Amino acid sequence: MNHYELLFTHIGTVLHFQYLIPLLVGTIAGVIGGALPGVTITMTVIVVLPFTFGLDPLQGLAAMIGVYVGGSAGGSITASLIGIPGTPSAVATTFDGFPMTKKGEAGRSVWVGVWSALIGGALGGLCLIELTGPFASLALQFGPWEFFSLFVFALSMVAGLVGRSVTKGLLSGAIGLIVTIVGADPIMGVQRFTLGIHQLEGGFPFLPVLIGIFAFAQLMPDVELIGADEQAIAARPTQMNLKVSHLSVLWDILCRPFMLLWVTIIGIVIGVLPAIGGSAANIMAYDQAKKFSKRPEKFGTGIPEGIVASEASNSANVAGSLMMIMAFGIPGDAVTAVMLGALTVHGIQPGPLFIAQHPKVAYGIYASYLVALPLMVAVIWVGSRLWMRIIMMPKAMLIPIVLVLCVIGAYALGNSMNDVYVLALFCVIGYAMVKARIPLAPLILGVVLGDQIESNMIQAVSTDADPWLFLTRPISGGLLAASVLSIALAVWQHNRETKRLAAAAEEEFDTDF
Amino acid sequence: MMLSRDGIAGLVCLALSIGLFALTFGLPPAVMVPVGPAFYPRVVILILGILSVILIVFDVLAMQRQRAAAVAPRATAATAGPAPNYRLVLATFVEFGVYILLIPLLGFRISTFLFVLLLEITLEWPRSPRHWIVMILVAVATSLVCFYVFEDYLSVLLPRGTWSGM
Amino acid sequence: MKKLLALAFASLISTASYSTVSYSGSYPDHAIKLIVPWAAGGDTDLIFRPLLPLLQKYLGQPVIIANVGGASGTVGEREAANAAPDGYTVFGAHDYIHSVYFGGIIDIKYSDAFEPVCLISSTPSVITVGAKTPWKSFKDLVADAKKRPGQIVVGASLGSTSQYSIALAAKAAGITFKYVPYQGTAPRMNALLGGHIEVADSNLTQKSKVDGGLLRFLANMSDKRTEGLENVPTLKELGYDVEYSVNRGLMVPKGTPAEVINKLNDACAKATKEPEYAKALLLQGTSVRYMDPKGYAEYLKKTDAQTKDIAKSLGLLKRE
Repeated sequence: MNHYELLFTHIGTVLHFQYLIPLLVGTIAGVIGGALPGVTITMTVIVVLPFTFGLDPLQGLAAMIGVYVGGSAGGSITASLIGIPGTPSAVATTFDGFPMTKKGEAGRSVWVGVWSALIGGALGGLCLIELTGPFASLALQFGPWEFFSLFVFALSMVAGLVGRSVTKGLLSGAIGLIVTIVGADPIMGVQRFTLGIHQLEGGFPFLPVLIGIFAFAQLMPDVELIGADEQAIAARPTQMNLKVSHLSVLWDILCRPFMLLWVTIIGIVIGVLPAIGGSAANIMAYDQAKKFSKRPEKFGTGIPEGIVASEASNSANVAGSLMMIMAFGIPGDAVTAVMLGALTVHGIQPGPLFIAQHPKVAYGIYASYLVALPLMVAVIWVGSRLWMRIIMMPKAMLIPIVLVLCVIGAYALGNSMNDVYVLALFCVIGYAMVKARIPLAPLILGVVLGDQIESNMIQAVSTDADPWLFLTRPISGGLLAASVLSIALAVWQHNRETKRLAAAAEEEFDTDF
Repeated sequence: MMLSRDGIAGLVCLALSIGLFALTFGLPPAVMVPVGPAFYPRVVILILGILSVILIVFDVLAMQRQRAAAVAPRATAATAGPAPNYRLVLATFVEFGVYILLIPLLGFRISTFLFVLLLEITLEWPRSPRHWIVMILVAVATSLVCFYVFEDYLSVLLPRGTWSGM
Repeated sequence: MKKLLALAFASLISTASYSTVSYSGSYPDHAIKLIVPWAAGGDTDLIFRPLLPLLQKYLGQPVIIANVGGASGTVGEREAANAAPDGYTVFGAHDYIHSVYFGGIIDIKYSDAFEPVCLISSTPSVITVGAKTPWKSFKDLVADAKKRPGQIVVGASLGSTSQYSIALAAKAAGITFKYVPYQGTAPRMNALLGGHIEVADSNLTQKSKVDGGLLRFLANMSDKRTEGLENVPTLKELGYDVEYSVNRGLMVPKGTPAEVINKLNDACAKATKEPEYAKALLLQGTSVRYMDPKGYAEYLKKTDAQTKDIAKSLGLLKRE
């Protein structure tokens, strides 16, 4: 089969040093970044980003995929060992991983997580390879009406799903769209809202905005806590015995094949849905695993199913996100949004013809993904002790370095300080939004999709002046109906939740994004 | 009128949308396409405005309900944990801002060294001479390693300073 | 403590290798920045990028590309126009510089802001239609368009070269189209394949899709048949006396010393003669077309006038 021949050829290519090194470095960075509490996968991929500008597109992507895969698994290490999720996608791993560690089975809890991530990821990879093509052919049938409605649907769904208030989710998405109307309009290049400032004529470039929004928003909560939680840090163990029988761990995972399959599917589907990502996948999968389990009462006491559900789903979620970005050019979460930005820097526009036009990059992505999974296991296996040390690196040193890399990342895009000023502006906005408890994900999606929403809308009305086509074309109409439904559903769910929680003391979680 | 963070965020967004909407009147009419460059921004700005109003109204209602029930305001309930160290946050912002302004003047290497070192000691005052050395080394290494890796291997020319010439 | 700080500073300062800025006589003595006003990987980027190592070979200093995209290429144009005229900032331009001026998108007239260095390449526009359309030849298209004026949907970057090419052909054939904005060749080809638009400007790079039966080339707008497109008639052969191609060249900010321009032009002349450059360009459906500063200046004057004519006939002319 031609498809698989190509795949194997590209696995061969990725195994060359030229690609293997970035992939390995990315995986290590991902494991560390994922494991560091307070540093998310998004943050890690942002830090890795500037290094990829000088590489060829596939090398850069390999590094980012390494981060993505490594990060998803790395998050589980901290989650299991110290009960703090290294990334939001490992929140549910703490529910059972940490109790298991407390029972003295630290090795089992880490390795159940890692092997589940490998298996879930591999199943996801299979879907990625098989379904991206059909997805892309579907996307090719999408005209401007359908794309417009798809983008609206994506925004409304994200706005409804993240955070605790539908209004704030939508508001965040609207702010994202506002960001994109500054600068030249996408049709005739008319300057809008630039206030005569030449630096704004190109609009706010996506990557500096994204880096800015996340940089301070994610680092500052740590700064706020400096001096407050030193005892907690001191109490963390630095050495643990992680020895375990890997066969028994694998049996822990594989003895419930249907649950494994089900949580993997949840992970993939959530990955495909735009901009929701691993932070939702792991919790939803955990919930499902509990509902379908014969012993739901044991969940939360340190049983392997809980870890399997969380880790297999967040790993499979990576594959789903990659699928969406390759077929439709829509990022499945913030990490793929960065990848999308990096691809555009290299002049590659993912979309329906991506696989046909850039087979080397497309199959390279598949291959990197498949190679990254075992690499991730190897990296954790070999280096677990070392990584634990690095995780303890003081924040006072880590934060300045991360900020410098953010500046380089913004600057290197166009060798221009303008982008760095944009970065600084959005650092402030991002932090302000965190303080106002406005979720960041809809904003990012809004910035990614803004110009495309406008272009597609104008393409649609210039092709045919009838505005009702948005509703009467079946796919387009269906997607718009789904958008309305998703908001209505979110409002309903939210109200129900508020009533349920009304009695309980109001507890504030810092939603990551 | 009492407002929580939600209400303030709503007011800021509302002000933003009113300001931007006023600006759309300066935009030219449509050329070659049925809708002009002002159409889409107006739609988006309207959406933002409406959402801001909803946010403000909800907030006012919530505040009234809270006052009626004589419950402590939400803000205090939220900060059950240790009080956030906003002085450090502010310091980080200021130092970051100064850093960015200094890059074109001092060049990447010097300003990065100064920024990293300064932020390190701001966030955690060194406890011992050894700690000082580690922090300085981290600052030097960040500055130089970044510079050489990006300039020599990744063909990114980092900024030179107009004052320092490097 | 102070010693340590001093040491750290000393090491920083001693590592500043090339920091002095001077261009007299020894030009170039450090890296040159080539501003390409479009995103990396776009047509323009892929035409300038293979030139860099060759320029470096003849200039003896690295030439680094800076993709300053945005606002129909005007952000990069403005940055290049405002750069120091010392030869260390070079602008990679194409014919859009005329249309964005006449269209009122930027207030910079090329002749006031730049000195031409050399023309390097020419990409003939090819009129392309989707496989689902009924037209097998340009004549079919013209006949159909005459029956329903202003209804056939063309995808183009409005006000830019991809619209001007089709508009020029339409004017010669006495037909009118409906133009729908699609920025960039790749999105236009997606839309052609999906049947969302019917006609678009493309180039040789789409040949594999034509061979695969997904698209059809109707006419080449070059003055004679070009390599790789031997089976595609030119508009001149079909009896329409028009030609259109997108030409790219190098410019420097106005006020750059003549000897610097000459040095750049020498390198450019040698680099464009390298067979590997021609090979790299062919992949972009483009051929090498070298002109020296004088020839390029005259050429620019001619295209400027032509662009103004088309802008006028499309109703896009905002200023003289």
